[in-house]
Amino acid sequence: MNEFRLAAILALLAGGVFFTFVSIVGVLRLPDVYARAHTASQTDTLGAGLVVGAVVLAYGAETEVIKAVLLLVFIFITNPTAAHAVTRAAYEEGIEPWTEGDERR
Amino acid sequence: MADQTQDPAPGDALLVPVGESVTLRNTVANAIETAAEEGFAEAHFVTPVTWHHVGDVDRAAREAVRRLLDRVSVWADEDTPEGGPTVRTNVIGSDEYLFSPDDYAAVLAEYADEHEIERILVDPEYSPGGNVPLLRPMEVALAKRGFEVSEAPTSRPVRRSRLTRAGGALQFGLLFGVSFLFYQLLGGFSIVTGDSFDFFYELFSGSLAAGIVAGTLYTVSLSDRTRIRSLLPQFVRLVLFVPYLLYEIVKSNVVITYIILHPKLPIDPRLTRVRSAVWGGPALTTLANSITLTPGTLTVRTEGQDLYVHGLFAGAREGIAAGSLERAVRFVFYGRRTAAIPSPEERGDYEELQGPDAAPAPPDGGEEELP
Repeated sequence: MNEFRLAAILALLAGGVFFTFVSIVGVLRLPDVYARAHTASQTDTLGAGLVVGAVVLAYGAETEVIKAVLLLVFIFITNPTAAHAVTRAAYEEGIEPWTEGDERR
Repeated sequence: MADQTQDPAPGDALLVPVGESVTLRNTVANAIETAAEEGFAEAHFVTPVTWHHVGDVDRAAREAVRRLLDRVSVWADEDTPEGGPTVRTNVIGSDEYLFSPDDYAAVLAEYADEHEIERILVDPEYSPGGNVPLLRPMEVALAKRGFEVSEAPTSRPVRRSRLTRAGGALQFGLLFGVSFLFYQLLGGFSIVTGDSFDFFYELFSGSLAAGIVAGTLYTVSLSDRTRIRSLLPQFVRLVLFVPYLLYEIVKSNVVITYIILHPKLPIDPRLTRVRSAVWGGPALTTLANSITLTPGTLTVRTEGQDLYVHGLFAGAREGIAAGSLERAVRFVFYGRRTAAIPSPEERGDYEELQGPDAAPAPPDGGEEELP
């Protein structure tokens, strides 16, 4: 494995960790369940996406690459479904979305 | 008015009155099929309307009808084979107040005479003017006027048996193929790279697994009438759609990251409602999931074609109102032609349910209040 490839893998991993970190900060800072659902999807899109990208690079041209990409496809299908299910449940419970000027919940 | 004599030679057009109904999709498919089989040059899809209101109600009704006909023409184009009938859509009766099924039959008859149409195909679930027992249904009224009227065989129990017979083998084959390929993929394609034992082992176990999957799920997985012809271009366009979606995701991820890490947390979340111009389960699901996948916008609820989208900040909401994702999804499912449909904002299909321009509360769920 040459150094360039190693550096790229590390950069992708760092990016993935960064966006996951931002997502956690967002969950802590944002005011309500709807707003938090936005940032939770960051973990799954760029967070997981970049890490899977690193995995692909690390494996090189093997069938594991296809599996990694498939993994990403399934994450991209299941993540919004879960986010939708959570927020729909909240909406049907009658929880109003937080708007500017409301108390922080 | 058409005469009562039985003319064996059919006119060169088929008239199909359409309106909101559960079997509309199948009626359209059936009408195109019938027109192609019986050699009609044109298929006219017409919606008899009655708008005697003024102002907004009127506009809403017009919009609804326009959308319905847009949808019908997209479906019809999708179904029309090479050299098939020309598809026309029309709104009729807008200058009259239609009340009974007989009134509807009258305006349909007028239209038919104008275009020298003798053959009418009706949607069994579409009954304008109501199915009041005292009044003759529209079909009967039309038949009385001397038209050759038939029902599209689309009532739901009938449709189910049609599906298992006509589309069943195709659906089974498709699902079997995809499952088999997926199985070999997970097995690292040792079916081609391994020795002869591997080949037979993978062939047997793969076929068994794919057979079980396809056998149990083929009626579930593809509920629409599957068409190989439209499936392949859809797949190609889906492949084109993915990089665009990824670009959108990266772009909005960067914006959200900035917002979250900003000390003041500059958010301005609002719930919005978009009546999306995509039709059918797979297309709506793709759109709703793409919206959710893009940080900053989140599909909270769907009601038919209405998506309740939570936008975290003004920029994200503008994206929804401009409908770029909607357009892209339409491109995937219906091709490039449909890009001409205006954005939700231009159509008046976008509204904010919270904030200064808040529209009335949604039918259920949380009551909205101004900040």
